[in-house]
Amino acid sequence: MKEQTTRAMWWRSPSFILDNRQQAQPYDTARGGALSIPPPPSTAMADPNPNPNPLTDKISAYYQTRAAHHGVVSSDWLAQAQAAVGHIPDVDDDAANSDQGAPPGEPFSVIDEFNNWRKQPDLAEAVAAIRALAAVIRNSQATTMMELEIELKKASDSLKSWDTTSISLTAGCDLFMRYVTRTSALEYEDFNSAKTRLIERAEKFGEISYKARKIIAMLSQDFIFDGCTILVHGFSRVVLEVLKMAAQNKKLFRVFCTEGRPDRTGLRLSNELAKLDVPVKLLIDSAVAYSMDEVDMVFVGADGVVESGGIINMMGTYQIALVAHSMNKPVYVAAESYKFARLYPLDQKDLGPALRPIEFGVPIPLKVEVETSARDYTPPQYLTLLFTDLGVLTPSVVSDELIQLYL
Amino acid sequence: MPDVQALVNEFLNKLKKRKIEGSQATAKQTAELLRSVISQQRVPRTNQAGALIDAVRAIGEQLIVANPIELAVGNIVRRVLHIIREEDLSLTTAAVAELNLSTVSDDDDDGGGGDQDDRPVLSAAAVAAAARNTLRPPSLQMLLEGAPDFVAVPRSSSSGGDSEGKSKSMDRNSRTRKLKHDIIEAVNELIQDITTCHELIAEQAVEHIHQNEVILTLGSSKTVLEFLCAAKEKKRSFRVFVAEGAPRYQGHLLAKELVARGLQTTLITDSAVFAMISRVNMVIVGSHAVMANGGVIAPVGMNMVALAAQKHAVPFVVLAGSHKLCPLYPHNPEVLLNELRSPSELLDFGEFSDCLDFGSGDGSPLLHVVNPTFDYVPPKAVSLFITDTGGHNPSYMYRLIADYYSADDLVVQRRHAAGN
Repeated sequence: MKEQTTRAMWWRSPSFILDNRQQAQPYDTARGGALSIPPPPSTAMADPNPNPNPLTDKISAYYQTRAAHHGVVSSDWLAQAQAAVGHIPDVDDDAANSDQGAPPGEPFSVIDEFNNWRKQPDLAEAVAAIRALAAVIRNSQATTMMELEIELKKASDSLKSWDTTSISLTAGCDLFMRYVTRTSALEYEDFNSAKTRLIERAEKFGEISYKARKIIAMLSQDFIFDGCTILVHGFSRVVLEVLKMAAQNKKLFRVFCTEGRPDRTGLRLSNELAKLDVPVKLLIDSAVAYSMDEVDMVFVGADGVVESGGIINMMGTYQIALVAHSMNKPVYVAAESYKFARLYPLDQKDLGPALRPIEFGVPIPLKVEVETSARDYTPPQYLTLLFTDLGVLTPSVVSDELIQLYL
Repeated sequence: MPDVQALVNEFLNKLKKRKIEGSQATAKQTAELLRSVISQQRVPRTNQAGALIDAVRAIGEQLIVANPIELAVGNIVRRVLHIIREEDLSLTTAAVAELNLSTVSDDDDDGGGGDQDDRPVLSAAAVAAAARNTLRPPSLQMLLEGAPDFVAVPRSSSSGGDSEGKSKSMDRNSRTRKLKHDIIEAVNELIQDITTCHELIAEQAVEHIHQNEVILTLGSSKTVLEFLCAAKEKKRSFRVFVAEGAPRYQGHLLAKELVARGLQTTLITDSAVFAMISRVNMVIVGSHAVMANGGVIAPVGMNMVALAAQKHAVPFVVLAGSHKLCPLYPHNPEVLLNELRSPSELLDFGEFSDCLDFGSGDGSPLLHVVNPTFDYVPPKAVSLFITDTGGHNPSYMYRLIADYYSADDLVVQRRHAAGN
């Protein structure tokens, strides 16, 4: 209770969506995270420059001493953290928090099935959810369409509640449910054939994910020209596919990766790009505005695309979009179509909280609050184009597409 | 066939040598050429639409390559392809609806027997509905409908009809003739639309131009001329500033025509636009092409006018006939969608021959003369598009594109290039 009132002081706008979600999730991940970090290694002071590629001797002595004061992370601690980071942050976080979905009464648990599918590194979350729901249909004992729908709804709800913060999961489940209610028995006299058809299509949906990335990569090839500089934020498999294909097409370009604290997404991405022989430069998150005039375009993925045409993505995307917009650089988003969600956030606080602990390397006093949100919302006016498997879209087209789907 | 080929070659020649001026003339001639191609094309018994589409595609590819900057050519090719698909679909739907009663019993028998090849047996209505969806650009709904419907139906919309109509051999002959007839009629309508687009746009002039306004325009555009004159006829009194539009100075011609029709006109240089913009109520310009994101390809100098208008919060209105609407998204439009014309329009060779001397030094002259034809105006600078269907927001362009074009025709190349 006390925590809630102190936090309430800092909020600008009480959003009722937030209050609802707040009751569902306890808020102690931030404090917990800050306290449970390993003690800073003693070598931190000796090596203030954790960069694996040491710079020339042009390092400013002034900044060197300042770095020493702040107890910066050393390179082996970095390697440790990097090894530990191998998963999507908000899902992992909530897996620790929420009550592990008690398996439903029947022996078949949709959550287990979902987790099995999620283990595949290339598979997107929404598609894993669809596959799990397809398995529900397969194992269902229902004899009528209505029963099947009810079962599916239950399964879909349990999936959604397992991780309330994942937009693509919710959107994927909603799309599938919508699809089920649309393919009514009017077209089929026979329930079994309807069931087989549903399973067929659910499986096709899974294939669509991998194909979707290829389609998006092909659509974006024209926009990457020789000699361009691309700024990338966050580790998106779609964006990686885009850059892979461009490298395979022998385009000459270089990539600036933001570091992506605290998930170190930039490091993972730069590893991947280095394997493709693409010239990569790592920037700390604060260096984005500094380097923006050298940049020709910004490429990001999306956790979800909302009705207004804006995107929800890793924390920092909004900042980068603002800077790019003010310097007239185009911001391109690569997102599959099943990420289109029926949300309309008006400001940052309208998103459900997705918190993840941040390690600073040094203990933080309890009184100090930490902003641990893992994602932000970028409004559509800062985005130039969205590359989806439905084609190249301007942000205003997204709402039209959603209407067409949910009509 | 031979005379069609001769026509095509002649047209290709004209395109390559840039003998045809203006997107309206190009569009009209392209449509007429494609009409002759279609009427002369011999179609097989089955899959007529597919054969026509292939023929038009083959010719269209050549036309687009001959003059890639003239986007109207590609637009008309895609419109004709869309027409073919649409007409074929409406014929199929009509035929299927007739046979619906007789084939219901067939469906029941087949449904029990399991699926043949990869097309599950659906009722006729579902086939038509799915096919209708394929004419629109791919949507989420279509993704969920599954790949077989999406792939099988557009490849040959008539084969959907084939699987339904088992006893149509007699009707096929009349269907062929009817299909071609319908397509040619629709292409005639298209040509009619292209020719009369000015009138439809000019009809809307009265809503936008009010009493005692000052309008600014750049260069010369027939659409703008008709637009302004239509307002004048409705007894609006207003003044026009015409920027001359260097280096072709077509603004001079426009100014003369406006004066001949009784409008108060002021002629200014392009450089004076920023100076005069604060006295202007509205900027009305024509365009060469409108891209799918709402960006405009317009004669050089237009971007400057758009920026001036933006800075002074003056509405920037673009007039565009529907044949100018292009379904492509521009990447690097300043370079790829632009053409460099002869430098002689800027400089007289005689006077500057010593600067342009190739013989001196390392062989390249010190003086370069660049004369680009077009400018790209980004969508956020445009306040309103006026087309023959009415006034629209730049973000609404994709909707018009969805109406006029099919998603499969975006890349007018042979099938082998489109491997996903």
